[in-house]
Amino acid sequence: MLRLPVVGRALAGAAKGGLTPSNTVRTPVRAASNMVEVFVDGKPVEVEPGTTVLQACEKAGIQIPRFCYHERLSVAGNCRMCLVEIEKAPKPVAACAMPVMKGWNILTNSEKTRKAREGVMEFLLANHPLDCPICDQGGECDLQDQSMQFGSDRSRFTEGKRAVEDKNIGPLIKTIMTRCIQCTRCVRFASEIAGVEDLGTTGRGNNLQIGTYVEKMFMSELSGNVIDVCPVGALTSKPYAFTARPWETRKTESIDVMDAVGSNILVSTRGGEVMRVLPRLNEDVNEEWISDKTRFAYDGLKRQRLTQPMVKDNSGQLTPTTWEDALTRVAGALQGVQGGELAAIAGGMADAEALVALKDLLNKLNSENLCTEEVFPMAGAGTDLRSNYLLNSRIAGIEDCDLLLLVGTNPRYEAPLFNARIRKSWLHNELRVAMVGYSVDLSYTYDHLGEDTSVLKGLANGTHPFCQVLSAAKRPMVIVGSSALQRKDGAAILSTISTIAQNARTSSGVEAGWKVLNVLHRVASQVAALDLGYKAGVEAIRKNPPKVLFLLGADGGCITRADIAQDGLIVYQGHHGDIGAPMADIILPGAAYTEKNATYVNTEGRSQHTRVAVTAPGMAREDWKIIRALSELVGVTLPYDTLDEVRSRLAEVSPNLVRYDDVEEANYFKQSNELAMAVNQDLLAAPLVPPQLSIKDFYMTDSISRASQTMAKCVKAATEGAAAVEEPSIC
Amino acid sequence: MASTAATRTTAAAAKFVKPIFSRDLDEAKRRVRELYRAWYREVPNTVTLFQLDITTRQGRDKVREVFDKNKHVTDPRVIDMLVIKGKMELEETIHIWKQRTHIMRYFHETEEPHPTDFLSKFYRGHDP
Amino acid sequence: MAASLVRFVRGGLGRGFNVARSSCLLQQQTRLQSSTTETRATVRPKDAVTHNQLAAFGEYVAEIMPKYIQQVQLTCYNELEVMIHPDGVIPVLTFLKDHTNAQFKNMVDLTAVDIPTRQNRFEIVYNLLSLRYNSRIRVKTYTDELTTVESAVSVHEAANWYEREVWDMYGVFFANHPDLRRILTDYGFEGHPFRKDFPLSGYVEVRYDDEVKRVVAEPVELSQEFRKFDLNTPWEVFPSYRDPKEAAPKLDAGDKAPENK
Repeated sequence: MLRLPVVGRALAGAAKGGLTPSNTVRTPVRAASNMVEVFVDGKPVEVEPGTTVLQACEKAGIQIPRFCYHERLSVAGNCRMCLVEIEKAPKPVAACAMPVMKGWNILTNSEKTRKAREGVMEFLLANHPLDCPICDQGGECDLQDQSMQFGSDRSRFTEGKRAVEDKNIGPLIKTIMTRCIQCTRCVRFASEIAGVEDLGTTGRGNNLQIGTYVEKMFMSELSGNVIDVCPVGALTSKPYAFTARPWETRKTESIDVMDAVGSNILVSTRGGEVMRVLPRLNEDVNEEWISDKTRFAYDGLKRQRLTQPMVKDNSGQLTPTTWEDALTRVAGALQGVQGGELAAIAGGMADAEALVALKDLLNKLNSENLCTEEVFPMAGAGTDLRSNYLLNSRIAGIEDCDLLLLVGTNPRYEAPLFNARIRKSWLHNELRVAMVGYSVDLSYTYDHLGEDTSVLKGLANGTHPFCQVLSAAKRPMVIVGSSALQRKDGAAILSTISTIAQNARTSSGVEAGWKVLNVLHRVASQVAALDLGYKAGVEAIRKNPPKVLFLLGADGGCITRADIAQDGLIVYQGHHGDIGAPMADIILPGAAYTEKNATYVNTEGRSQHTRVAVTAPGMAREDWKIIRALSELVGVTLPYDTLDEVRSRLAEVSPNLVRYDDVEEANYFKQSNELAMAVNQDLLAAPLVPPQLSIKDFYMTDSISRASQTMAKCVKAATEGAAAVEEPSIC
Repeated sequence: MASTAATRTTAAAAKFVKPIFSRDLDEAKRRVRELYRAWYREVPNTVTLFQLDITTRQGRDKVREVFDKNKHVTDPRVIDMLVIKGKMELEETIHIWKQRTHIMRYFHETEEPHPTDFLSKFYRGHDP
Repeated sequence: MAASLVRFVRGGLGRGFNVARSSCLLQQQTRLQSSTTETRATVRPKDAVTHNQLAAFGEYVAEIMPKYIQQVQLTCYNELEVMIHPDGVIPVLTFLKDHTNAQFKNMVDLTAVDIPTRQNRFEIVYNLLSLRYNSRIRVKTYTDELTTVESAVSVHEAANWYEREVWDMYGVFFANHPDLRRILTDYGFEGHPFRKDFPLSGYVEVRYDDEVKRVVAEPVELSQEFRKFDLNTPWEVFPSYRDPKEAAPKLDAGDKAPENK
């Protein structure tokens, strides 16, 4: 696995600089006099030297048709669709690969240009099947749109068409290789972004084929993105095949909650059903990619759902009941206990609105026992200082960073998009990565410093040889996985890492404002819960068994019936019958993330909100409403009836929660480190092993993805090979 | 003199907007009264012909209510349009083209009022 | 068939002022078009003969009735459209029906289009057919919610139900119609469903009620969402390459409107 050649990197860098000036990848600031003036259809445009013709046109507001060019991939220049005429040039040039020269006049809609496009289109269509009516790309196909716009309206093709055998590359991506126009975007995506050299080309000329050489699964956690990248219907989604057309679906902009990155997504729905999930552009979070779990776990939203309130009857069976009955029972139980005998646990997909409502309810009942499932060390500064539990340098900050130390985490599967950022920076910005913990395949190379905590100790007290590298770095980042902090010695690990980060911050010439300490969370609710003042971890509940336990989507399995009082009552509120629901006495069906307007805060502290794409199934209700209704029956009515009122309550507790798409800065690293010093806990000798080691651990991690058949197929295919998953032989 | 000036202004107004039937508000009001009278006379027939479970009085009150619903309208053209539609309804009723269900629709007797407090709304459904 | 149309066009123009010039020009153009063969296989060939004939006829009609006809245009598929002032419905239709060189005796269709952005939001469209000359013409006029249009029933009997339909679906009132009442909607239905501001789901939903033993109508409360199509994506991809939009037809030329009779 080699890094890109210099030319490719330069081009990619220019692409970034030219297209997205807000991008954080630094391109050297050039003097204004260095700009080149070119003309697009006679209109003057000032561009940086090295800009391609296509980017110059884009800057002038004119989009050149293209198939192989993609702004986040290296330039291939093999589809020829972007041919444009340059005044006084003998031949049309490929706009995507040709750097502009001073004074060029680019003619984007001249007779010659149009003729060139028409010719290219005719050649592309010569070997493209005319099966648009049964093609899943129909309606969102670049070839379809551009042939409509630039192609000719009649055919003079009488020869036979080429046919290519389809490849089985796993349960997610359906290939109809006859439709392929050899743009090689998928190959470039796999090798550049995903870092998996699985796809490639064989043969040449008319016999060029995209494939995996030998039949194997396209083993990447980002594999679904090739579906979006593919301009035609050669790579389409297998679960989505033949289910809907893009024009009949309704699109809802939302946020993903499968991991703590908070990828921006677009939920396509039709008739109250989620048909698919697509990525949405957000340069600061996920660029334009999403992970396979985000994209394909949506079928889990239709299975194993809790659709009506249930109450355990005398025989111990959960029987469906009405909301009145279920809520009255819960209210009765809540009224019958003291505040101290009451506790609540929030799961990984709980939204901020539900969290604040639950906290207000329990606080009104004189209980402070509100915990999150995810453990986070509470010793030292604990969760009091926000900087202690955030990814302070931000996700996009990776692109500015020059040295990265990963501790006890596997970002590739815990936060695939974050890992893609690291790889991007590693590829283009010479980022150096080091790792303490189990040696996993991260799709890029790194210095493996060891698995043991002794390495951390060495790094903290400066005896480890890597310390020199760390102190030489201008913008280092230390990232600790939240799983590493779940161990018994979590507080000690956090304090050690805090010391390492603080040393790096003070010893190396880090510019002011650069943050070194970062925590990479794994669940979407954690940061919001800690912001709202939830305690991390259920240790307190184990120590002091409650009589009534309220589970808000807690499916992590961190608590069992044995942990509560003998005759205690467990109330489960959530959307899936997974791990939490079976042990509950009363079940209150809630809404999943596609069914509610809800706030989530990602690992960097960015607050974002989902929107209602479909209505919740059966009698399920939005989570905060359930708690609000319950509060009325208990007799401590919460003072909010609408979503806006809940959000203003959120703003009262923590204003950053409603400042959407804004990251609130966290600080006080020094103080937090000093407090961490006070932790007198010893590091355990056990090696740091993140829970997700290989791709099979990636697919099923939460209640939605555990209910998803697609994800189950992926696990099967990843363990037994793509051929193991039988597919109906359609098309 | 004044009356001629008034006619002139109405004539000028009529030049800008083409009347449907009525040239001024008085004429439109006259048409409304005619329609109301026709409805008023028709109510007892309707009650017997359709075998409705209401009294004539209730029917006449409903007619009055429906007319009152539009009493804020002052534009003669809008009034004319409403009268046209009211006549159409009347014709449908007189000829028994309508059925009982259509007549009884004026009374909205099966509609339940929407709950306003949070808890009832919560029990009722998803929407606030 | 083409010849006959040419004849009536010339005949029509013959009654105009400049016979010689126009017909000469027409002949020249016809010859020019037929002598050059179409070499570009990729573009739909233009039928210049029909185009010119229709254009000439449109010009002729416009010349005859300058009072009512505001604009004459030909669509890209060679359909002649005559835009008229609403007061001119009866004269223009009568002319087109009875004139020797027009003979549009068949009313094929009468409908309306709702364009809420316009000052006169409804466009009333009359499609006429001349069996004599195998030719079609489209007459368009305009109105708003409260302005009446003269009924065409006195000219074309066929307009009767079409106008009832337009009244029912759009709420355009046709004056002097013999029997203007609803034709498609249920008795007691409120609103005009083809208006753009009428929601796709309507205002009421009906169901059979067991208690009152009849069908009842209640305000619509959609338990299942209606299908909504997203049609704007594919054609918006390359906005700069689209041809500039045709200028809106001069239907609202109120200043040209003739005085009320």
